[in-house]
Amino acid sequence: MNINYLIYRNLKKNIKNYYLYVFALIFSVGLYFAFVTLQYDPATDEAKGSVKGAAALGAASVLLVAIVAIFLLYANTIFIKRRSKEIGLFQLIGLTKGKIFRILSAENLILYFGSMVIGIFAGFAASRLILMILFKVIGVDAEAALSFSTEALIQTVIVFAVIYVLIMIMNYTFIQRQSILSLFRAVSTTENQIKKMSFLEMLFGLLGIGLILLGYYVSTKLFSGDFTSMNELFMAMILILGSVIIGTYLFYKGSVSFIFNAIRKSKGGYLSVNEVLSLSSIMFRMKSNALLLTIITTVSALAIGLLSLSYISYYSAEKSARQSVPNHFTVANSNDLAAYIQALTDENIEFKQTKRDVIQVNADLSQVIGANLEVVSGPGEQQPMVIPVISDESVEGIDVSPEETLFTGSSDAIQQFMSIQATGDIELTSPNQQIKQQLIGLEKDSYVSYYFASGGLPAAIVDHTVFDKLAQDLDPKIQKETNVYYGIDLVDPIAIDQANQIFKDLGISESTGNLSQSELIMNQKSNMGLMMFIVGFLGLTFLITSGCILYFKQMDEGEEEKANYTILRKLGFTQGNLLKGIQMKQLFNFGIPLIVGLFHSYFAVKSGWFFFGTELWLPMVMVMLLYTALYSIFGLLSVLFYKRIIKEAL
Amino acid sequence: MAILEANQIHKSFGNKFNKQEVLKGIDIRVDKGEFVSIMGASGSGKTTLLNVLSSIDKVSLGSIKIEGKEFTGMKEKELAEFRKHHLGFIFQEYNLLDTLTVKENVLLPLSIKKVSKKDANQRFQKIATELGIYELKDKYPNQISGGQKQRTSAARAFIHDPSIIFADEPTGALDSKSASDLLNKLSELNLKIDSTIIMVTHDPVAASYCSRVVFIKDGQIYTQLNKGEQSRQAFFNDIIKTQGVLGGVQNEH
Ligand SMILES: Nc1ncnc2c1ncn2[C@@H]1O[C@H](COP(=O)(O)OP(=O)(O)OP(=O)(O)O)[C@@H](O)[C@H]1O
Ligand SMILES: [Mg+2]
Repeated sequence: MNINYLIYRNLKKNIKNYYLYVFALIFSVGLYFAFVTLQYDPATDEAKGSVKGAAALGAASVLLVAIVAIFLLYANTIFIKRRSKEIGLFQLIGLTKGKIFRILSAENLILYFGSMVIGIFAGFAASRLILMILFKVIGVDAEAALSFSTEALIQTVIVFAVIYVLIMIMNYTFIQRQSILSLFRAVSTTENQIKKMSFLEMLFGLLGIGLILLGYYVSTKLFSGDFTSMNELFMAMILILGSVIIGTYLFYKGSVSFIFNAIRKSKGGYLSVNEVLSLSSIMFRMKSNALLLTIITTVSALAIGLLSLSYISYYSAEKSARQSVPNHFTVANSNDLAAYIQALTDENIEFKQTKRDVIQVNADLSQVIGANLEVVSGPGEQQPMVIPVISDESVEGIDVSPEETLFTGSSDAIQQFMSIQATGDIELTSPNQQIKQQLIGLEKDSYVSYYFASGGLPAAIVDHTVFDKLAQDLDPKIQKETNVYYGIDLVDPIAIDQANQIFKDLGISESTGNLSQSELIMNQKSNMGLMMFIVGFLGLTFLITSGCILYFKQMDEGEEEKANYTILRKLGFTQGNLLKGIQMKQLFNFGIPLIVGLFHSYFAVKSGWFFFGTELWLPMVMVMLLYTALYSIFGLLSVLFYKRIIKEAL
Repeated sequence: MAILEANQIHKSFGNKFNKQEVLKGIDIRVDKGEFVSIMGASGSGKTTLLNVLSSIDKVSLGSIKIEGKEFTGMKEKELAEFRKHHLGFIFQEYNLLDTLTVKENVLLPLSIKKVSKKDANQRFQKIATELGIYELKDKYPNQISGGQKQRTSAARAFIHDPSIIFADEPTGALDSKSASDLLNKLSELNLKIDSTIIMVTHDPVAASYCSRVVFIKDGQIYTQLNKGEQSRQAFFNDIIKTQGVLGGVQNEH
């Protein structure tokens, strides 16, 4: 039996065992190659140019390398440990460590570079599809054509060759460190897994849950005005991150085994198969995998959170554009307006005009603002706020009495900061008079563009008598250049592109105060689209790598526990009995990190989503569902793997 | 009354072209309350025989009845059902689950049978005290000795009052003191609760605890020895003699 034969036999055996590893490898290479192909391809210049996304793409590709490298190295530690027995055996029959290392390297070389070649082809094939998706989300109308990029190829080969060298170094040190004896022992790690629950552990368990809850609690308070300076805000964020991450770690280290132990104790030694397979095995393993699970949970939470936020922003692009600009177009300058109207008429585009007088008024809102204002206006300077005021005459369908004021167009972010109550006493001040008003409500729809509403403050609608009084007595210092809001709506929205073109061609879009609603939507979509695409790409890579890692862990466990299944089956438990227990175990194994991750991301998104858009639930839930569905695939795969193990056990 | 009756069982491994016949027509009958051991050279098919008798493996040909119930044609599910109600096992390697305590290991067979918790506790206390492992009940397998593990495994075999207990070299990994301890306990239980035990062993000392020894050679029953009224020592000498004739190798005992 010569070395080549050994290599060949090992390879044959391992491909079957490690198909997921090979798959993950192909996938990582493919993904990376597709990504760099996009990065280098001139076809994406438009996407990059429109948002200066080149830097973002570059940063993402570095992150991608990091994720993939950590994943491959980690997977390798699992696999080399699994093969320690084989390595020990080789040593026992007289092979030197150097020779064993060479066998392993050769085997890895074939597996690794074989997968790489496949991965590059797959990546190239997929990159067109990916480009199509990219164009679709950022709303670019372009043919998705790609050419094979040698630059991308070289970069991919270099990156993965470096990872290969790292893996080899790891294998080398692993082999060097082991003696024959310890190699045999590496698999039987059950020894140190079984320790009694200590009081300290229980304490840590409780502390973990407490820390997570503390983090959640602080996160709900983050932008509600309790933290008044930038410094405090920063400290609060650090606190949240720290306490949630440490809490998660302690949760895995102590809480899970503590809870499971309590359940188990209550059974008084009389466990059902389901409990045998799930409780007792998870109890010990969660503890030893605490660090890994913490990392997986944290990064999943990060991925879900970022995806949700970018999707929220993408999703609410139209709504927030409508809030910023209530009509299709708004033109602040009357010369521009005349020119634009002329141009539209020339082109036979029908439109409707809206005209509203908007004045800026000092307002004392201290009675209705719930939050401490220092956050918004800086410490010490509690001067009255300037808000835009319009008359109820100029707004169809709204009529308020002379004592009443209605707030409109209040953004979620401002609302979150100031928590303005829907009713209460306010005071409008002009240089020579103070008018007491009753606030009767907050409306999300807006009636003037954000040009008039400084910093997202709501616009007040007052009775026309009050408006006239205020208009007669304006404070010139706080007025905008114009006091009239002109809105233009196309009768037929189909002409919007044409109207937009004219808007741009006339140079109207250049000056402040002139805005196009559809431009805003498109801008936000392409900004957020690229963000979403990059985050989605990274998120997907992370999802797959972490799913694979959990799966590999399960493969490992499954093989270690095979003897148990043999015993149980001899005792008369059917394959069905065992499989039920395994399903339960996988529910915990994959479910606990997922649920903890989902909770983390929920609280993270909840604390700051209003900066990104107008809709929280639908986009977030959709992202979460998608993530859960993809993630569950790995749970299912591992159940299938166990099914095979159980079947072979007797 | 025969509790186990096997007629003309054949078992072969391998495929059509490369067939190895391990059991070549074995008839065996075990009465209720008997303590039978099966002996034979290494590779003679003892484990195979025990496996087919205990439904863990299927016969190629022949019939096996336990308590009058034929099980050779049963489906895997029925067989599992059959095992958990009628059979108990003690294996050569202790075959305890590392992640469970002694008590949890012992109670495993009961959990499928829907025995009440109180009843289960009572049974555990009884059997564990008899086998001297009650004090170890909250320990994990790696915290106890080999002999204690084997007794735990025996307790698990007895806990659900099976019709027959199958033991494959239960003393194989034990020193002679622990081995005789365990065998004394087994024969005690055999007498006290009238349980039926079938044990595979290499060790003539272990075999001498039984009421009958069946010798296997080349997949067939070579001979049987009954203890009858003779002393254990005399029976032991008989076994040694037969073994010598059977294997051609003289045992130095
Ligand atoms: N699963 C199997 N597949 C193929 N052949 C098998 C299988 N199990 C056992 N055999 C063969 O059947 C024969 C008898 O094996 P068995 O394990 O029953 O022997 P044994 O009497 O228990 O030996 P020992 O005393 O060494 O345990 C051996 O020659 C063995 O090679
Ligand atoms: Mg055997």
